[in-house]
Amino acid sequence: MSNDGTNTGRRRFLTAATSAVAAAGAVGIAVPFLGSWNPSAKAKAAGAPVKFDAGKMEPGQLVRVEWRGQPVFVIRRTQAQIDSLIENDGDLKDPESLASSQPTYVDSRNRAVKSEFLVLVGLCTHLGCSPKYIKKLDSAAPDASWNGGFFCACHGSKFDMAGRVYKGVPASENLVVPPYTYETDSLMIIGVDGENA
Amino acid sequence: MGNWLVNLRDWVDARLPIVRTWNTHMGAYYAPKNFNFWYFFGVLSLLVLVNQLLTGIWLTMNYVPSQEEAFASVEYIMRDVDYGWILRYMHSTGASAFFIVIYLHMFRALIYGSYKQPRELIWIFGMLIFVVLMAEAFMGYVLPWGQMSYWGAQVIISLFGAIPYVGEALVEWFRGDYLISGITLNRFFALHVVALPIVLLALVVLHLLALHEVGSNNPDGVDIKKHKDEKGIPLDGVAFHPYYTVHDLQAIAVFLFIFCFIMFFMPEVGGLFLEAPNFEIANPLKTPEHIAPVWYFTPYYSVLRAIPDKFWGFVFFAASVAIPFLLPWLDRSPVKSIRYRGIFTKIALVVFISSFIILGVLGVWAPTDSRTLLARICSVLYFSFFLFMPIWTTLETTKPVPDRVTTKGGMGVFGSLGVLALILALAIIPLKAVAAESAFDCGQIPCAEVDFDLTDTDSLQSGSALFVNYCMGCHSAKYMRWGRLADDLGIPESIAKEHLILGNDTKFGALMNISMTEGYAKKVFGGAPPDLTLAARARSPEWLYTYLNSFYLDPSRPYGVNNLVFKDVGMPHVLLDLQGDQLCRPAIAIAANGGIKRDENGEPLEDSYSDCGRVVAGEAEGSLNPEEYQEAMYDLVNFMTYMAEPSAVKRERMGISVLLFIAVFFVFAFLLNREYWKDIDH
Repeated sequence: MSNDGTNTGRRRFLTAATSAVAAAGAVGIAVPFLGSWNPSAKAKAAGAPVKFDAGKMEPGQLVRVEWRGQPVFVIRRTQAQIDSLIENDGDLKDPESLASSQPTYVDSRNRAVKSEFLVLVGLCTHLGCSPKYIKKLDSAAPDASWNGGFFCACHGSKFDMAGRVYKGVPASENLVVPPYTYETDSLMIIGVDGENA
Repeated sequence: MGNWLVNLRDWVDARLPIVRTWNTHMGAYYAPKNFNFWYFFGVLSLLVLVNQLLTGIWLTMNYVPSQEEAFASVEYIMRDVDYGWILRYMHSTGASAFFIVIYLHMFRALIYGSYKQPRELIWIFGMLIFVVLMAEAFMGYVLPWGQMSYWGAQVIISLFGAIPYVGEALVEWFRGDYLISGITLNRFFALHVVALPIVLLALVVLHLLALHEVGSNNPDGVDIKKHKDEKGIPLDGVAFHPYYTVHDLQAIAVFLFIFCFIMFFMPEVGGLFLEAPNFEIANPLKTPEHIAPVWYFTPYYSVLRAIPDKFWGFVFFAASVAIPFLLPWLDRSPVKSIRYRGIFTKIALVVFISSFIILGVLGVWAPTDSRTLLARICSVLYFSFFLFMPIWTTLETTKPVPDRVTTKGGMGVFGSLGVLALILALAIIPLKAVAAESAFDCGQIPCAEVDFDLTDTDSLQSGSALFVNYCMGCHSAKYMRWGRLADDLGIPESIAKEHLILGNDTKFGALMNISMTEGYAKKVFGGAPPDLTLAARARSPEWLYTYLNSFYLDPSRPYGVNNLVFKDVGMPHVLLDLQGDQLCRPAIAIAANGGIKRDENGEPLEDSYSDCGRVVAGEAEGSLNPEEYQEAMYDLVNFMTYMAEPSAVKRERMGISVLLFIAVFFVFAFLLNREYWKDIDH
């Protein structure tokens, strides 16, 4: 065999071109392998939006609704609870929810579409435990000045009655508000963005 | 950057012999420069192995190895998992492709004597790979838990019952139960996905190590190591990399083109790669009318059926698989390659391959007396090839073998195609003689010829409405989701919820279940009506269409109707009000020349030997006229065909782009190969 007539430039070009096509092919082959890890139709059906009628809730009551296998807290806040929110602002990391996750159509301070009904994903933004709902003056309150809110027993994060995180605790973001919309005055659909979103 | 990489390589190489390993197996592995077409299949089988491993791992992520869930989980992969159908078809097509390339790889060894000294161990390892692969494929075929999975496993495992004394105990131990059950399925799953692949990989490594130790054979069967240059490099050798890597790249492109064509346009290959009865869930109480193993087992299966005794059938079956192990010692010829062998080898090889093909085809067909006779003749020929090999290889006169490899040797493309034609002719002529099959495809009549159109949305929509209204009173479609149906057929969610989806609280994404429970159905009908999601694949669209058109009044039946396609069917004619009464008349008489017999007025005559062979309209008319009814049935079956494989249209559309891409890749691979090989005399 003789390599005298080897055209190195042509070899290089063809090697590069063939490799490029093969690389594109490899990316194409990777698509079904990677894509199959997305939520399947079964997962999507199980995680479909859920309806919840908040009309029969007592003031101050919390109901856990399951959406995508997660606890979603629906709380019918009393007027006193709503009014007290402003008092907390100085003690919060992100009182206006600038760095937190919520749909654009909820109010950034009381974090609800209708201020009476607070809807939150009930998982701590620190490491995913589900916090406890502790009212004001409850014997389980984590400190004396507790204004009512959520306390995560796992790592001690505290959130107020709008799910906003307090300073000096491990969590950095406010509790997540899921997408939801109202079909009637009190019938909400959790998991769907509102039409005016 | 480059320097940094070199340093890293040297650092690793001082601790792990990566450079030496690369040189031993790729960069300084000198392979004969005269490899031809037959030398592609080793690399291709490695490619398929990688495909099987990757897609297999991905399938286990969604497959559920249990009696209750296995079948449904395969349909879940086919429908609900994103791209799941691609992964599954890659795996199922890969299984057959594996055997195709392995059989061709073995044929190469046969014609060029690659099993002869000093390559006996390579052959032994190769045969072990083949046997393990058969076990691997068999167990894999059980996993989808369809009718063929079940009954195939039943037959193959029962085979071991033929072993004297311990047979029955062995079978029970193998199953772990008194019948093939979820317990058997679970252990097969473990063996298929963990144990056997490890064994297979180990054997492949040994096969390659042994090959690279003694070096590759070539079409001339001469040893290239006898003539080396001053550096010790064989004069007739080229470095495997880059010469054979670029060479194989073209073959890979061609192979992938064919592979993808099958996968995207005909994944079932007419029931050869995926058998129709396997789209029906395993039922231990009902054997399918005709069971056959998948095509790659059928030659050996034919040997089994040809022997009229259970024990000896097992013995000859096992022997037919095992006897090639002995090839290195049966072949006494002084030369390796067929190019320099005498006429006896050539005749023997052609007859052997033809009988192997005949045995394979017969194993797919149902047995008849003449077919069994042919299978016996071919079994004798199959074994004779091996048993008499020591004699004819000693007797025949061989030609002198050249000292160096030749580059223009062999019979060329046209000569090879001529031999292929000869082999096929020898296989096809005897098969034609025993092919005549009297039974019709559709029970007592031939199936209607209809072309279904899965892109006709109007037809699919009206078919879906008919299906939900008329079929889903009793039949579920529990592997299909309402939401998928509505989305695919362009039905808005609100309209689907109002008019299509059964049950007020049914979620849009829910499976298409029905309210009638299986227990209740058994009590009322004596058997649960089958799920219809896959009916069009388990039968065929033409079968369903003919069936729906072939009900007739029969007062002797519990529901007052019978069916020409499905005799004594246990189902009422739910569409009776639409179609009106139908009566059965004798079939039209067929003359000896195949034409229709007519009376003197030109009217067709009825066959006096048949009393019921076609359906005609009775007195009571239905709400639809015959044309409208047939159109409705077309829509219904069209919909059921869609439902049996919802991704079918997408599959073909995607296939076109994939094939175009591979064609482009081939052009580059071809040019690259030509550039590298232009200076080498080959």
